[in-house]
Amino acid sequence: MNAVGSDMQHPADVQLVGVRKRFGAVAAVNDVSVDIERGTIFSLLGPSGCGKTTTLRLVAGFEQPDAGDVYIRGARVTSMPPYRRDFSMVFQSYALFPHLTVAENVAFGLRMRRVARGDRARSVDEALELVKLRALADRYPRQLSGGQQQRVALARAIVVKPAVLLLDEPLGALDKLLREEMQVELRSLQQRLGITAVFVTHDQEEALTLSDRVAVMRNGVIEQIGAPREIYDRPRNAFVASFLGASNFIDGVVVGREAASIVVETPVTRVSVPGDKASGERVRIAVRPERLRMARADAQGLPATIRDIVYRGPVTHFYMDSASGPLLAYQQNARAGDWTIGDEVRCAWDPDSAVVLDGARE
Amino acid sequence: MKSAWGWFLLTPPLVLALVFFVVPLVYLFWVSLHASSTSELYGAALTLRNYTDVLGDSFYLTIVRRTLGVAAVILGLCLVIGYPVAYFVALLPVRRRMLAILLLLFPLMVSNVVRAYGWVSLLERRGVVNTTLRDLHLIDAPLDLLYTPSAVVIALMTILLPYMVISIANTLAALDRRYQEAAQALGASPLRTFLHVTLPLSTPGVASGTLLVFLLTLSAYVTITLLGGPRSKLLVSLIYDSVTAFQWPRAAALAFVLLALALAFTGLILALLRPGRVQGAAR
Amino acid sequence: MKVELTAGPMLRGAATIVAFALIVVPIVIVVVAAFSPNDYFQFPPPGLSIRWFVEFFGLQTMRSAFALSIELALASATIATILGTFAALFLARRHGAIAALLQSLFLAPLVFPTIILGVALLLLYKTIGMPVFPGLLLAHCVVGLPYGFRTVLASAQALDPALEEAGQSLGADPLRTLFLVTLPLIWPGVLSGWLFAFIVSFGELNTALFLTGPGVTTLPIEIFSYLQFQGSQLVIAAASSVQIALIVILVAVIERVVGIARITRAR
Repeated sequence: MNAVGSDMQHPADVQLVGVRKRFGAVAAVNDVSVDIERGTIFSLLGPSGCGKTTTLRLVAGFEQPDAGDVYIRGARVTSMPPYRRDFSMVFQSYALFPHLTVAENVAFGLRMRRVARGDRARSVDEALELVKLRALADRYPRQLSGGQQQRVALARAIVVKPAVLLLDEPLGALDKLLREEMQVELRSLQQRLGITAVFVTHDQEEALTLSDRVAVMRNGVIEQIGAPREIYDRPRNAFVASFLGASNFIDGVVVGREAASIVVETPVTRVSVPGDKASGERVRIAVRPERLRMARADAQGLPATIRDIVYRGPVTHFYMDSASGPLLAYQQNARAGDWTIGDEVRCAWDPDSAVVLDGARE
Repeated sequence: MKSAWGWFLLTPPLVLALVFFVVPLVYLFWVSLHASSTSELYGAALTLRNYTDVLGDSFYLTIVRRTLGVAAVILGLCLVIGYPVAYFVALLPVRRRMLAILLLLFPLMVSNVVRAYGWVSLLERRGVVNTTLRDLHLIDAPLDLLYTPSAVVIALMTILLPYMVISIANTLAALDRRYQEAAQALGASPLRTFLHVTLPLSTPGVASGTLLVFLLTLSAYVTITLLGGPRSKLLVSLIYDSVTAFQWPRAAALAFVLLALALAFTGLILALLRPGRVQGAAR
Repeated sequence: MKVELTAGPMLRGAATIVAFALIVVPIVIVVVAAFSPNDYFQFPPPGLSIRWFVEFFGLQTMRSAFALSIELALASATIATILGTFAALFLARRHGAIAALLQSLFLAPLVFPTIILGVALLLLYKTIGMPVFPGLLLAHCVVGLPYGFRTVLASAQALDPALEEAGQSLGADPLRTLFLVTLPLIWPGVLSGWLFAFIVSFGELNTALFLTGPGVTTLPIEIFSYLQFQGSQLVIAAASSVQIALIVILVAVIERVVGIARITRAR
């Protein structure tokens, strides 16, 4: 069994093992294996068409895999229809039943599980209280705002206490302010209830904010899985690096090794980078813009010329040209220097801030 | 699971459609290829005589020609009257337009026999038209308006007119006004806008209305019989007569001749008007 | 310029008045004739009388034809709508060549000359010895199927597919999803389909022409036979008016229940 990050003491609530799914000639999901620990939030992140929604739907059972298996709480559910799997889902369009009131919507799953009327009413009440919508219990979905509908959808999904909660771009339809508010609420709710959650998003900020672990997908394959900080600071390849945020790429050749680092010769300068590559190999290193330090032309570092300066509120973006290609640096305005377009600068970074990328997986 | 549920849904309607629609027609065609029989439904020998008899006999050809002639006149009248009416209806504000269409749908729901009877009451010798004309001293003796091909034409035309109007009106109403505005911005007068923009874009509605009216004209037995009488028989009357005379192979062959006419006309209209090329013109 | 501008709308208005007159006048004549106190139709009518309606309900042949038409319409509309709903639910989310073919098959009786279907079915029934009423019923089910299918298909396709998936995600199996989620949301389409199928069956001539028999006649066929063999008698006007009244009531009911927009788009 392929286990990526699984821990034998905490059995995974959801497991995908070697799952494949094609639609016609396109492999939407191509040999995906994932373990999701109980009580964590796991996100599937990637551009449209990368297979993240298909993967979610495979867990739900709305699609059947061509190969591989799906497990929920240790039970093999691959051939089970959705209505027999222990999960619930928040849909992108919320999918609230228009002909039922808010309370009836939330009670639906409990009705299916044949919960007695009294217990049902109590649970519905509790769930609505959790999402702060108790007062709207007798309204119909069309009478609610987008944000309210989203919370009802959430209440409906958590009231049945599922083994896993699936969310398909749940915050996509909300405006920026509401979305950020909901992100915080979602996370606190999940932690309070200890539900295992898997959600799909194309917004990398959202994934980094909400998740315990993130899987970055492209073309049906998982490029990298890890905790948000880990994949942000240590992206494995250029795709992951660029998808999670801006990144500077500097090419060079390995010329030597020093302890845990390799020495990379770039067109302009020689730098030390943590990594393990053979001498003579061509490599690409990545440095995040916020880690790129700018100094006057007499200092040590990669020479560059400032091409453009963009003020962004808390930070300023500096767009520069260098022999290694275009560079981008973020400088916090509280500690900014006095730069103007055309200035010659020297760029440097902490050796630990740079990452060697897998050149092969471009 | 999904496929079992799917079969559960599909099977009953599919069985109905196959067993009581497709199979009988195939059987009818099969019978049309047999010789007649006096003792049984049809004889044992396979033959094309039923078709060659029909297509070679001048009597049948006259009927076919008359049928097509009547259909052509009805079609022409429905188009000439129907298009302006459809244009009028399409320009109405939404609520009034829906009311107009409802008013057009209502007569279609009344059985054809009732509507034909209405025309009989109007055109017969003691009917409304004759009585009124005599009362106004415009004529002395009642006119023989009934039992002529013209009676069939006028009755059937008014019966089928709503189909044409609704077809065209729906297409026109769905047209994006901006096409006409663009034409006028380019200097086209209202007439030229109509001829070069509106009319071509209304082709799908015209095509479906035309086909519907033609097909229904071919099969309107009751109206044809009540208003045409024994001397204005059309193709469908011959089919009925063959059936009542138990000449099944003949009836079957005539039925498929009718069907062939329908298909040929359909092909003609689709080729002439090419409604497919204006897909996507709707708002 | 002015002539061009006003000629169009004037012509259209005139054509509309003429058209509506031509279409509606025959029907109005029939209704007015039904209330005629005399043995023949007079215009303007000298008075009003319901004697023809009394005679209509007094004639056993007319009464049983009316009753049969109602039974037939009720039964065939119900069957056609149930089967049409099944077909619509099956095809709502399916695409591809086979789905298109099936859709054409279920809509075919709308455009196919039903008189030929009547001949074909009579032949088949004679060959296999089918009794009259069931044969007629099945014919009307075929004729009504497109009506039950078309409106339900439109409703089902307008439904957000996520709603059914949401039902399943909460534990509802396909049958419960159908009754608790799908049907409550598509019922206007089902109802208007039923009503159209009923109206069509009630006024249907072309298959009934061949498939009715002694003792088993529908009202339209009875009216037709009467006209052919006993001439124009005003009891027919009464019979026709009863049919028209029923249609008016049903159309008013559809309009009230599902709204005028849905009916006019259904065509």
